[in-house]
Amino acid sequence: MLMAGIFFAMLLMICINIPIAVALAMSGVLGLLFTEGPGSLVTIALDMYSGSTKFSLIAIPMFVLAGAIMNAGGITDRLINFVTAIIGFIRGGLAMVNIGVSLFFAEISGSAVADVAAMGSILIPQMKKRGYSKEFSAAVTSSSASLAIIIPPSIPMILYAASANTSVEQLFVAGLVPGLLGAAGLMLVAYLFAKRYNFPTEAAFNLGRLRETFVDALPAFTLPVIILGGIFGGYVTATEAAGLAVLAALLVSAWYGNLDVRHLRRAMLDGGIQTAVVMLLVAASVLMGGFLTRAQIPQQLAQGILDITTQQWAILLILNFFFLIIGFFLHSAAAIILVIPIVIPLITAAGIDPVHFGLVVTLNLAIGQQTPPVASVLITACSVARANIWEVSKVNIWFVGVLLAVLMLCTYVPSVPMFLVEYFYR
Amino acid sequence: METASYPRLSRINRLIGSILEWITIGLMILLTLCVTVAVIARLMGQSFSWYDEIAAIMLAWITYYGSALAALHRRHIGFDTVLLALPKKLRVGALLVGEAIILIFFFLMARAGFQVLDVLAGDTLVSLSWMPIQVTQSVIPIGAILFMICQVLSLPAYLKLTAAGISLEHAEIEEEVETELHKNRERV
Repeated sequence: MLMAGIFFAMLLMICINIPIAVALAMSGVLGLLFTEGPGSLVTIALDMYSGSTKFSLIAIPMFVLAGAIMNAGGITDRLINFVTAIIGFIRGGLAMVNIGVSLFFAEISGSAVADVAAMGSILIPQMKKRGYSKEFSAAVTSSSASLAIIIPPSIPMILYAASANTSVEQLFVAGLVPGLLGAAGLMLVAYLFAKRYNFPTEAAFNLGRLRETFVDALPAFTLPVIILGGIFGGYVTATEAAGLAVLAALLVSAWYGNLDVRHLRRAMLDGGIQTAVVMLLVAASVLMGGFLTRAQIPQQLAQGILDITTQQWAILLILNFFFLIIGFFLHSAAAIILVIPIVIPLITAAGIDPVHFGLVVTLNLAIGQQTPPVASVLITACSVARANIWEVSKVNIWFVGVLLAVLMLCTYVPSVPMFLVEYFYR
Repeated sequence: METASYPRLSRINRLIGSILEWITIGLMILLTLCVTVAVIARLMGQSFSWYDEIAAIMLAWITYYGSALAALHRRHIGFDTVLLALPKKLRVGALLVGEAIILIFFFLMARAGFQVLDVLAGDTLVSLSWMPIQVTQSVIPIGAILFMICQVLSLPAYLKLTAAGISLEHAEIEEEVETELHKNRERV
């Protein structure tokens, strides 16, 4: 009864737009007050401090900063030129380029909204000029940017790993194959649209042009090499790779001559604020988590669901449905921090691999970024394209269909995301 | 956040904003230096005993100084769909109740923070024994007080936007998109 009351109070606080971090922390405070009395409120300071000092989460400010520096550092044009030289000759070439560049950007930033604002503001106007509808341009940009959150580095994955106490390096590896499969699917849908609406091709394939653009973009490729090579090769941890990524981003931007103090200051500031917003949520979750653990809520939930079914496929189906619904209303960071500590005992009890489940959750939340009312990536793409969100959603449904297909494949054929993890780590 | 209708408030906001910005930037620089130096040193076969503890403390400081700055710009993650769907009077009432709850929470956090500082008097860090824990933990009461100040300073503009039915998140996205489009126009 007390738990239901606290849950209802938290929902009410979220509905009146109290920051989710504060709603979460205040619910924890209510729990403390009712179960242990006012004397226990000193715990607020201890939990809010210990929650904000989780060492593994230092990767977040570092990756955000690396991404912000690269966004300001002139890499986007070079990547677009390079990807155009590879696949621009296909019908609907600019849409293909959009999807291809998103994959590279995922390697760099880890923040889909920042990527879609930086990349979309260059590609969407070009697409509109070349005869693509603004709805299609926004849809392809939005869905490919969301897919990018399952390709390392990914802030939701770092948060999941910290919440579920699992390996972020293994999660990064698990995201690679589904990310590439999803990109191939999105390209296929874009091609079918291009055939039907006769979208243009870009310049014919030219080996000289490919070589020229590759050399120009070469310094930018140091980032994926550091992140993927360093982590997969076992040379560095995710946090260390993030630190090196910042250093590489600074050097690459300086090499391109785009590193000025104004850009760097803004990158530092964006990185600091984005980190603070996410970390306050994490700290608040420790306060609420303490209460949930004392009340044995996660264990009771796990037992309740296991009493209904012990089948892994059924549990995954229930959780997929739950996360898809949550994706309509919550940002990915908030959804992970609110829900993962509660469902992890269920996952463990059902014998589901937490790395596999982490990928499933991240894919669900990628889809959630495409479903209004809370759909920051879609809203950003619509804003760049000056398109109506509902008209864009009518086109976007095909691309979301691809993401759903990848989700189902990864959920029910675990070897698709996990075979690389097995190969590298087990 | 737009505070042009309140010139004096706007000046105070800018002052507090720029102080917090420089603190956040300074902490980000220190954290970046700390992590990169430690990684390079480890790859060269040397490790620092202070690295884990100091980096984690800096993350906590970024969390609370950055959070106050985010509160000043109303950048914390929220869900405004229901609030904006309410009739205007009810919307404004609900908003004020929400603001009061936020202030109550941070008041409790500041109070608890000071209590903890009293208890920790005399303790030092493990890796840097000359550094009192009171200094590192001071971020909790100071951060909470700063958050309250920033929340109050940004309230008039937030109230005005919400009363007009404008979503803060959408306004923020528009601002981000405008910046990027402007940057591209400059480049062209």
